[in-house]
Amino acid sequence: MSLSDVGNLMCLPFDEIQPGQPTKAHEYLIQSAANQLGLEGRNWIPLVVKEIGPDQYQVIGNSFVYAVAVEAELEEVWCIIADDTPETVAITQALAQETQPKTNLSTASREEISVAVDYLLAQPSTPLKGVNSASLVTRLDEAPRKYWKNLQPITKLGCRITAGKKLKALEQVFYLTPEPMPDVVTDRTLLESLTTAQLKAMAKKRDIEGISKLKKSDLVNLLAAA
Amino acid sequence: MNLEEVLKALPADAAEAVVELNFSQPFLRALGFEYQEMVPQFPVGRRAVDHAARKNVGEDTFLTSYQNPYLYMEVKGRTENLSDINHPDYRRAALQLKHYLLSPESKSVHWGLLTNSIHVQLFRKHGKVVHPVTPCLPITGDLRRIVKDIKQRIDKPRRALIVAIYNNKGGVGKTTTTLNLAATLALLKKRVLIVDFDPNQSDLGDALNLKPLKGKILEVLKSKEPATRDIITPYKFEHPRLKESLGFDIILADEDLISELDEARFKQQVKFHALRRSLEIVQDDYDYILIDSPPNWRIFAQKALCAADVVLIPARHDNLHSLQNAGTAITQFIPEAQAKRCEVGDAGPIALPIFMNNAFRETGPQVHLMHQAIAKIIKDARRNSSGFDLTPYFYPKNRRGHENRKMITIPYMAYISRADFMHMPAAFAFKPAREQYLNLVKEYFL
Repeated sequence: MSLSDVGNLMCLPFDEIQPGQPTKAHEYLIQSAANQLGLEGRNWIPLVVKEIGPDQYQVIGNSFVYAVAVEAELEEVWCIIADDTPETVAITQALAQETQPKTNLSTASREEISVAVDYLLAQPSTPLKGVNSASLVTRLDEAPRKYWKNLQPITKLGCRITAGKKLKALEQVFYLTPEPMPDVVTDRTLLESLTTAQLKAMAKKRDIEGISKLKKSDLVNLLAAA
Repeated sequence: MNLEEVLKALPADAAEAVVELNFSQPFLRALGFEYQEMVPQFPVGRRAVDHAARKNVGEDTFLTSYQNPYLYMEVKGRTENLSDINHPDYRRAALQLKHYLLSPESKSVHWGLLTNSIHVQLFRKHGKVVHPVTPCLPITGDLRRIVKDIKQRIDKPRRALIVAIYNNKGGVGKTTTTLNLAATLALLKKRVLIVDFDPNQSDLGDALNLKPLKGKILEVLKSKEPATRDIITPYKFEHPRLKESLGFDIILADEDLISELDEARFKQQVKFHALRRSLEIVQDDYDYILIDSPPNWRIFAQKALCAADVVLIPARHDNLHSLQNAGTAITQFIPEAQAKRCEVGDAGPIALPIFMNNAFRETGPQVHLMHQAIAKIIKDARRNSSGFDLTPYFYPKNRRGHENRKMITIPYMAYISRADFMHMPAAFAFKPAREQYLNLVKEYFL
């Protein structure tokens, strides 16, 4: 028998438990659950807590149940004791749907992008109304996103995403771990996404002369050919 | 021991482990794989398929390198029923094999074998599509012929996937879908042939400004050694900014098929597998062969379905009959075609999930109405055709414990119909249309 309580289902006095991340559920849901539970009720869905000291616990998952317990004035609640590694906290919150999952746009596959965009569009008050999901997914998938340092280039893809509310919405689900741009770039789409100044700097680095009067398209041709 | 002796020695109720230990290797050897060319318990993701095999090339030994498997074999115990495709044992086993074949580690795999040493079935993987190429063959019969048949298919894989685009109801966008799928696949550097097998309308040729053929298809369908290549018309799309022209090949509709012949006489002259046989001649030249079939269940549609490996069924959310007919096609017509193909030792066609053409946005009362109608169709099918479950065909993303009513859709787009007036595929003419069809191609094929 292990001496540790980790993994056990225990009935703990409520005043030993500190709240964690507070729930954002509507009070209607909390009140009606509390009314059903009553004073003597048992919370069949347990709190997930970690130990932070002797007889001291903190909620890491199912914080909705905590809010209901407060409302119902329970004296004892049923809890599962979890260990206190960050991984455990993360997976508990993911399973309890208490965190916003995020996708790494630098490395994501087309399917992953597609399902993330679909999730955003399915939100009831999404600012992305009128965005064509098939276009957005295709253009995101084909863009040189592994070099992006922020999501700003999405506004240049021509799929009705503007900097502001719409880009903010995408920031909810996407994050980036950019790779450094290689010194020699010959990929045309990537070159076209850079500014003229960046292209000139790149040409200078590669010792190409006579560039000062060239236009962007000429610079792209020159760099793509070399 | 050779395969016959192994089979004789196996107890009638041998468990999976016993079959795997005694039967797998002799069977794979009979199919032409040596000991160094097969790996038992080959890891696929977090699980392992019972056997993987690949011919050795030069120094590269499959047993040591584990690279680029070519064939997976999933073995079951002798007590599991693999002879009936509606039996839960079979469904579970086939789903498991499909799962292995489609996992991202299995890019190089072309074939899947499912066997319990009493029956064996061969599946083929083409892009994202897994379809059976043989029926569940009883091994107890003519063993040598079965092994030879499977070996022949594995050694000489066909290049093309033959897709029939079919719905019993007209006006759901079969021709438009065929055309734009072909255009999108051509953009992805695939070789595509489309067959306009709807002589009553011959819209497909018209959409590209091409004139129908006169009498040539009939000749090909009747002949024993069909000269299919002679009736193929190439279609090229040129644009000043395109370096190479894009395009695909077409077998245009034949005017004479309606004017010269009535249906009864056509049936007398042309055999049931005629279309498939004529397409077999050219199937190594193409990656995809798309057949545009007529909206009925008469001779042309039957031949089209019999020629296909898979059937793609478009439907419309605002048209109840198109949904009902899609259900009927899956529960009745496709099994009929399967039975016909089974007579010549072939399997197929199978239905791909239904997709909604010209769909509105997700919410809204019309969509609610559609879901209600689909629920009724699924319920009726379950009652009338011995427990047939249509759910995965309507809702392919539905999983156990997760009600997901997401469907594969092409939204209504003015571009798509506008391109028709310009006599070119919308996927070539307009970028938004191309992106929608690309989405469709990625969902189904790539």
